Amino acid sequence: MTPSAIEIMSPASPNALAIAAQLTTASTILWDPTYTSRPPPGNLRPTHAGTLAIGSRTDSSISVRSLGGDHQVPIMDKRHPSSFQQLEKLGEGTYATVFKGRNRQTGEFVALKEIHLDSEEGTPSTAIREISLMKELKHENIVSLHDVIHTENKLMLVFEFMDKDLKKYMDSRGDRGQLDPPTIKSFMYQLLRGIAFCHENRVLHRDLKPQNLLINTKGQLKLADFGLARAFGIPVNTFSNEVVTLWYRAPDVLLGSRTYNTSIDIWSAGCIMAEMYTGRPLFPGTTNEDQLQKIFRLMGTPSERSWPGISNFPEYKPNFHVYATQKLQNIIPHLEYDQVGLDLLSRMLQLRPELRVSAQDSLSHPWFNDLHQRQQHQSQMAQQQAQQAQMGGSNFQIPQGAY
Amino acid sequence: MAYQHSRYGQCDSFFYEEEDSFHAIQAQKREQARQVARQHQRIMGMQLSQTTADEYQDDILAHMEKMEADTMPDVNSIDIQTEIQWFMRPYLLDFLIEAHMAFQLLPETLFLAVNLLDRYCSRRVVYKRHYQLVGCAALLIAAKYGDKKDRVPTIRELKSMCCQLYDDEMFTQMEWHVLATLDWMIGHPTIDSFLQIALAELEEEREVEHLTQYICEIALFHREFVSVLPSILAKSALTLARCVLNRSTSHQSIWTGSYDQTVVVALSTHLYNPSQVVARKYASGQLSSVSTVVEEFLRKQLQAQAMKQMHAPPTPTLTPVNDQTPDLYHSPHTPQKNHQNAGYGQGAWTPPDTPDDERYAPNDPKIHQLHPQIAYPATPTNEFESMAYSDPFHQTQQHFTAQYVQ
Repeated sequence: MTPSAIEIMSPASPNALAIAAQLTTASTILWDPTYTSRPPPGNLRPTHAGTLAIGSRTDSSISVRSLGGDHQVPIMDKRHPSSFQQLEKLGEGTYATVFKGRNRQTGEFVALKEIHLDSEEGTPSTAIREISLMKELKHENIVSLHDVIHTENKLMLVFEFMDKDLKKYMDSRGDRGQLDPPTIKSFMYQLLRGIAFCHENRVLHRDLKPQNLLINTKGQLKLADFGLARAFGIPVNTFSNEVVTLWYRAPDVLLGSRTYNTSIDIWSAGCIMAEMYTGRPLFPGTTNEDQLQKIFRLMGTPSERSWPGISNFPEYKPNFHVYATQKLQNIIPHLEYDQVGLDLLSRMLQLRPELRVSAQDSLSHPWFNDLHQRQQHQSQMAQQQAQQAQMGGSNFQIPQGAY
Repeated sequence: MAYQHSRYGQCDSFFYEEEDSFHAIQAQKREQARQVARQHQRIMGMQLSQTTADEYQDDILAHMEKMEADTMPDVNSIDIQTEIQWFMRPYLLDFLIEAHMAFQLLPETLFLAVNLLDRYCSRRVVYKRHYQLVGCAALLIAAKYGDKKDRVPTIRELKSMCCQLYDDEMFTQMEWHVLATLDWMIGHPTIDSFLQIALAELEEEREVEHLTQYICEIALFHREFVSVLPSILAKSALTLARCVLNRSTSHQSIWTGSYDQTVVVALSTHLYNPSQVVARKYASGQLSSVSTVVEEFLRKQLQAQAMKQMHAPPTPTLTPVNDQTPDLYHSPHTPQKNHQNAGYGQGAWTPPDTPDDERYAPNDPKIHQLHPQIAYPATPTNEFESMAYSDPFHQTQQHFTAQYVQ
């Protein structure tokens, strides 16, 4: 036994405390430059932290048991990736690759998102956010997460299978990428419903673009890829402004704002709506400045008069090229005879975030009125059919007075 | 030394002012402009935030209240842990609070980490030697979930904080165990997120916010608050903070006003014996020195009490500080299993002749005298005051050493 250990064992020794302090000063060890490049914080005084389990340093394996009770703890890795047959590659994201897959037992198609695990730092924060947020967000316009499978070096997310993303759908269906107005209206409604659901559940998507909207054969549109999403609070905290693919990034974020809110998703939705009409991205900028310039060229360059406080943004330049405001229908001729649609689009593409329409409000915009009627009609038809089917069926359980 | 120091000090400033005054003024102007811009940005951010609040607050609150109920730890399950005991938890929390502070993480990250820790301990058997590892994994996940990317601790840093006790892969393994055990449900709405909603509504200043956070962090240490919903805890702590700071309680909404009176009283009884790590953290000027404010407040309460007791015959005698300190730190902020049903009053009162092995005297009739149904804050006694503010640091070390290092 070393002398220091003896001293620690007998607290009566005057040196014991000094040694204990040495042993247990988490901060002094942390700020050892061999371990970290962080600047040291203020003076942290030594505490008793850091020695909870001294004495059992040899044990390096973690064995896990459930506590029992009524909690059912999933057994680790009970499902192996091999329970899915891997088919063709569907896409490659920044931190993951997506494959089409087939469940070997049920034959059901799925989308398999493979996230490579950086063994150094464990599970990536994007994966933690994406999975936990998708577990909260169960909605018909949000792609559903069936399962999470973890193997030694990768994490596999099993999603419901969707046929195409909106980008590919436009390329395959549309006339030079352009979609027909009824489809656009239906997709916009579903997109805004998905966004509204996210916002009601305090989630910002922060990466809406055609590649992240998935379409299935039933014409359903669902939001996918929550890798950049995060929960927000009230008041909305400050976030990174390195979000959203450049072309769909809101002007306030481009100007360097870190206190953006739900309105950043609405700007992206506006860009997507225009893109569905024209088949081309609305603002295909190459750099931050170029992106702002392309936006100003259409929307007009804002000034302190049109946007009080704009000069306070970190990226604001007093020498922005001054453009006059153009009419949206010059860019999107398809909307020339659809004033109501034009009105909704212009409410979404407001430069000032506080003036942008909310997802919730946009759903009751008159542009969607005919869609509501059609949907009501459809659901009535479906109800009637269901009732007829039930009448004909063997279990005859329609309550009295149902008609 | 003093002479030298002052001479060089003067020289430095002399040269600076003479030669660089022009640049200094320019720099000062630029800095001022930046300050103004930042201030404007802050105001714009607040307005933007208000737009979201107006639009979505009800929906978001409803969702948060559902989520908090779904993501609560189970105290009874933690009770049946064989190796880890409640008395160990404060030591781990002290460690986590220090680590959290060192990494400069957001307030909500701490509350989330403790929630993840307790939820994991509600479901899995945790060995004593892995308790700190679970805590680190919880902190790591909480930081990855909600904090700024460049602030997230690296495993290397966590490892060194744990004195190389665990291998790198044990951190990643434990992180995975925690995520899988909790079925990846990480989005627990923290005390802090509810507090922010209430504060935004009341337009309270920083001091109230810091004091409420201080009270909430004290509450983390006690078993009795583990099963209290974060929304209730936030509102109750805010009520207590406003009472301590003597703010009016008018103009609050139904939501903010719906605190729990018993929780407020219970919180007030724990103000006397905060963890020294927390008290030290909140003594800093950046956090409005609220732990000192509380200390001062309690002292005044004590004086008022003493004035009253001048006329009340059997006055409890003042106890010399040194007689009591050695076992002070055994007791105050560590709720133990066998005391769980003793009620709220226990924290506030330590009788003069505490036996060595006893933390409190739960049956002491004076407790019941001292904690009638009056609202907060319960009045401290002379004895307690004198003990609580003696420096327990060395006792901590000693106690800890005796308990763990052997």
